[in-house]
Amino acid sequence: MPQSDLSRRRFALITGTAALTQLPATAATNPSASEIVTRIKTALGGDWPTNGLDGFKIGKPDTPVTGIATTAMATMDVLKKAVQSRLNLIITHEPTFFSRQDSPLPQPIGGGRGRGATPPPSAPEDPVYKAKNEFIEKSGLVIFRLNDHWRTRKENDLTTALAAALGWKNKTTGEQMFYDIPAATLEDTVALIRKKLAIRGGLRSVGDPKSKVRRVMLHPGLMTPAIMWANFGKTDLLIAGEVREWECVHYAADINSAGEKRSLVSIGKVVSEEPGMKACADWLKTIAKGIPVKWISAGDPYWRPL
Amino acid sequence: MTANEVVELIKKNIGVPWNAQSSRDVFKFGDPNTQVKGIATAVMTTFDQIKRSSAAGLNLIITHEDTFWNDRDDTRDLQDNPLYKLKTDFCRQNGIVIWRFHDHQHAMRPDQSVVASLRAVGIEGGQDGVINGRVYTIPETTLEAFAQQIKKRTGNRAFRVVGDPKAKISKILLGPGYASPRIRPDVDLVIGGESPETDGVFDNPEYVMDAATLGIPKGQIILGHVMSEEPGMEDFAKWLATFVTGVPIQFVPAGEPFWT
Repeated sequence: MPQSDLSRRRFALITGTAALTQLPATAATNPSASEIVTRIKTALGGDWPTNGLDGFKIGKPDTPVTGIATTAMATMDVLKKAVQSRLNLIITHEPTFFSRQDSPLPQPIGGGRGRGATPPPSAPEDPVYKAKNEFIEKSGLVIFRLNDHWRTRKENDLTTALAAALGWKNKTTGEQMFYDIPAATLEDTVALIRKKLAIRGGLRSVGDPKSKVRRVMLHPGLMTPAIMWANFGKTDLLIAGEVREWECVHYAADINSAGEKRSLVSIGKVVSEEPGMKACADWLKTIAKGIPVKWISAGDPYWRPL
Repeated sequence: MTANEVVELIKKNIGVPWNAQSSRDVFKFGDPNTQVKGIATAVMTTFDQIKRSSAAGLNLIITHEDTFWNDRDDTRDLQDNPLYKLKTDFCRQNGIVIWRFHDHQHAMRPDQSVVASLRAVGIEGGQDGVINGRVYTIPETTLEAFAQQIKKRTGNRAFRVVGDPKAKISKILLGPGYASPRIRPDVDLVIGGESPETDGVFDNPEYVMDAATLGIPKGQIILGHVMSEEPGMEDFAKWLATFVTGVPIQFVPAGEPFWT
């Protein structure tokens, strides 16, 4: 920790301001959120269009950074933990404000689907939006979304980190998404996945529980049918973050009806991206130069009753 | 009676104008002039569902969802796909005709799919159910108790719940299939079939998780696409039998695809 920061903290203790909820600003020598983001952009390369998914979502980019938190999704729980650890720059893979639009203000509730549907009332003042905004402002947090540029990084951290989290290292080919694992039944493999990724209720399987699994394909995030059609025949088990039921789930069920023992396990989008965002924290340490960086788990959103 | 004649009778009876622009509600496989021996209704024409329908002597299948693993049943990229070949070969050899009934089921007033789904989860007074319809009020209970009730009533294995199990809930919005409603301040619980976890028009999971952290009682229940709409296609079979006579009509469920 820089000497000037120690002095400032001592000053805070003496003056009795240490208990303020606002994260203490660090010494002017600490880089701003904007400077850290510039380093990220430079290191990852590519175009960063202002209308893209990736960018600042809330907070002042000129805020000096006391520490960086990475997470798959910037939930209130994650933000609280970040503040407790004095991390004020949040790098999140998924939205902060509950939609692709990711706007801090509640959006009017749209019209009906289906002809003749009654349009619902527009959004009244929303206590969840309000509390989240207030917490972020009061805590001096800055939130930056890093999705496309992390997902498409050539090292493919989202996939390799997910494999590592599952204890799998043997890539079969040059393709990063295929792994040969010690042969096991599907049900045992599912038990391992559930345990290693701390899944509560978000895991769902299609396939014969007694079938043998040896070659696995990993696809964190949302998987499209085209990817499945092209690859399912090369693998015993496909582990996806999220799939649509009428697409990939239907296809997996049909493959089994046709007599091929291939399985699909959906683990949840956020859960599938957590190891990759943990890897992002490790990577950020190399460019944050001494500023603390920590991964904070958003956790499995789902449960189901016993 | 031909498959096409059955479809014409449906068009006459739905009570709303037919939208010929619908890419969904059209024949997906087989010859519309085929003589109908029996009609199967389903949410999804999985290969297994088709085989069971055929074994039961039902050669016209009316499905709510797709047959070829994408919403438009676009088969251009599937011409060399071995599974596509097996599935279509089976249908051809067994004289199966597949017609989709989706958009117009949801356009009907009330929407059979919504009415039946409300009834299946134990919400009373849903005879007026439509997509994006009204908020239903149940006697106050906890999210956990209500989820347990759904499990008990429906036998659904893989449904997912978001939110504090102890959250008190009473005001509910329900939308089966992919018409999962958006949670909002005047609603405690949203129930849907399926919806994107993030990056959608509105991401219920994160909102409900945040509400839980803030101590605001909210919940989301995701029934599964097929499970949420099967009661509606079972009701559809009964409704169909009120004006299509002389051939057996049977609901042949695709069934819940998942185990956990």
